[in-house]
Amino acid sequence: MQDSMQYLKAKATVATRQKGHRAHIGSWLGLTVALCLLIYYLIVFVVPFSIAVWLSFHNWDFIVDPKFVGLRNYQRMFNDGYFWQAVRVTVTFSAVEISIAIAIGLVLAFLLSRLRGIAQRSILALFYLPVIIPSVVSVLLWRWLYISNGGAFNVLLTSLGLPPQPFLLSSEQALYCIIVMVIWTFLGSVMVLFLAGINEIPEHLIEAAMLDGAGLWRQFWYIILPLLRPVIVYQVVVSVIGTFQLFEQFVFLSGPGFSTRTLAVYTYQLGFQSLDLGYGAAVSMFIFVALLIATAVQLRRLHATFEY
Amino acid sequence: MLIMNSSLSILAVVRKRYGIHLSQMIIFVVLIALAMLMAYPFLWLIFSSFKTAKDIVTLPVQLMPREWTLESFRRVLAAPDLPRAYFNSLGLSFIIVALVLATSSLGGYVFARLRFPGREMMFLMILSTTMVPFITLLIPLYLVMQRFGLLNSYMAIIIPSAVTSFGIFLCRQFISVIPRDLYEAAKMDGCGDFAIYLRIILPLTKPVLAALAIFTFLGSFNAYLWPLVVLNDKHLFTLPIALTKLLSTYGVTNYDLIMPASLLACLPPVIVFLVFQRNFVQGIALSGIRG
Repeated sequence: MQDSMQYLKAKATVATRQKGHRAHIGSWLGLTVALCLLIYYLIVFVVPFSIAVWLSFHNWDFIVDPKFVGLRNYQRMFNDGYFWQAVRVTVTFSAVEISIAIAIGLVLAFLLSRLRGIAQRSILALFYLPVIIPSVVSVLLWRWLYISNGGAFNVLLTSLGLPPQPFLLSSEQALYCIIVMVIWTFLGSVMVLFLAGINEIPEHLIEAAMLDGAGLWRQFWYIILPLLRPVIVYQVVVSVIGTFQLFEQFVFLSGPGFSTRTLAVYTYQLGFQSLDLGYGAAVSMFIFVALLIATAVQLRRLHATFEY
Repeated sequence: MLIMNSSLSILAVVRKRYGIHLSQMIIFVVLIALAMLMAYPFLWLIFSSFKTAKDIVTLPVQLMPREWTLESFRRVLAAPDLPRAYFNSLGLSFIIVALVLATSSLGGYVFARLRFPGREMMFLMILSTTMVPFITLLIPLYLVMQRFGLLNSYMAIIIPSAVTSFGIFLCRQFISVIPRDLYEAAKMDGCGDFAIYLRIILPLTKPVLAALAIFTFLGSFNAYLWPLVVLNDKHLFTLPIALTKLLSTYGVTNYDLIMPASLLACLPPVIVFLVFQRNFVQGIALSGIRG
């Protein structure tokens, strides 16, 4: 009897020790924090994302109970002229804005990299100012500058002897007006990223080129540009994701009709103005998948360039 | 000719003494000119804020005030909702920054240094949340907040911003290059995991936390879409919402309030930027985020 008691006791001690040992492998703090984070993401991410998927197969207007409609929201999307209009606006905007911003940003970053110290820092600060101020402030300011009847830009054009423009009142010009404004906003951040990339390039490469008599242009074209390729691809990916989600720019600088309505604005309007939640969710799923594909394609291109 | 000669000799002196080349001077001049072009819209914002109300809304516009006055700022202070919105935005941003710093550093530490079952998988799951754009979560997150009864409250703004997977990722990257010996030595001295976090990891993570604090502050102070969706009560409005409401209620004529209020709205971000400029550039290089 006593033997068996002792045996049990010994077994218990071993068990506790083993348990203690196991506790040693895992950090309780780590496990607790990680689990808290998981619960948090369950509530603010997994559940909402599942609802988005679920909603896209239903029709719901906030009032009557949601009704399952299968793929009909997606079918509707492909036959919806407004949807394709929004796709066109979004893609045109992204393509034009990103190519111009990256081209200008690259050249300016390269020029800036030839300067040092306070000169470099102060110029960079001026370019970076629009990045940091509230987007609503820049949007309201540009809306005012773009006023066609006596606004600041038209006053400037007239004083230069050029004809005044309708700007946001014209469905041809409005989108390009927003593009100019958004380039102005983000040029600083594009430059900072490229500047960081250029600073990584070994100085002796550029010095060697200079000794060989390469001017600024050839240094840029044959050394900086090829070596910055990964940074450029990264910038494109980040910018595509960013521009697809711009919102207030398109709301407060909107052109006539639907000439500047993007997918993001369309999603918002479907969800919170037309109360067409199911269809809005379907459009938002389209944005998600489109960005996923665009990112994958870009990253694949990056790997392809690294192979040779 | 003489002028050209003397200016060339000045250039030679400058070059000798300061090591500045002619090409650098040309670049500097070109860049300064372009930077002025960038600053052009700001000139309108600044000068307009010192105009009289009538002067601001008169078309065609004129850059310089006809009469310099601080009257417009007095109007902003007297406006019913603007000062309140200003403090709402500042307060919310400080709370969110504090929460993001705490959760990012703790989360980064946990995933970089501590061992527990499922660590890699959980980290990947948290990272994967960055794949989904916010616009996709907009409608359903609103529904979740509604279910919890949090609409039209600050919690609806604070909760979704309190943790960022980007912050956790950034801190993890930074903490995982802190020498492991430090951690092991403290462990030998009998320090618990949390004590190590407080006494060793947190002080060493300062640079990355500074950068994270700046971006989080700007992000929450400037946020528009989410506050627009969840806030209804004008006492709760954040500054960007309050600014745009001026526009929609009174039309173009209300620019006599929008201009000075916008200028005031730029102050906190600009101050943060100027004070922490060094961390800014570092932070962007570290993370490569856009805006």
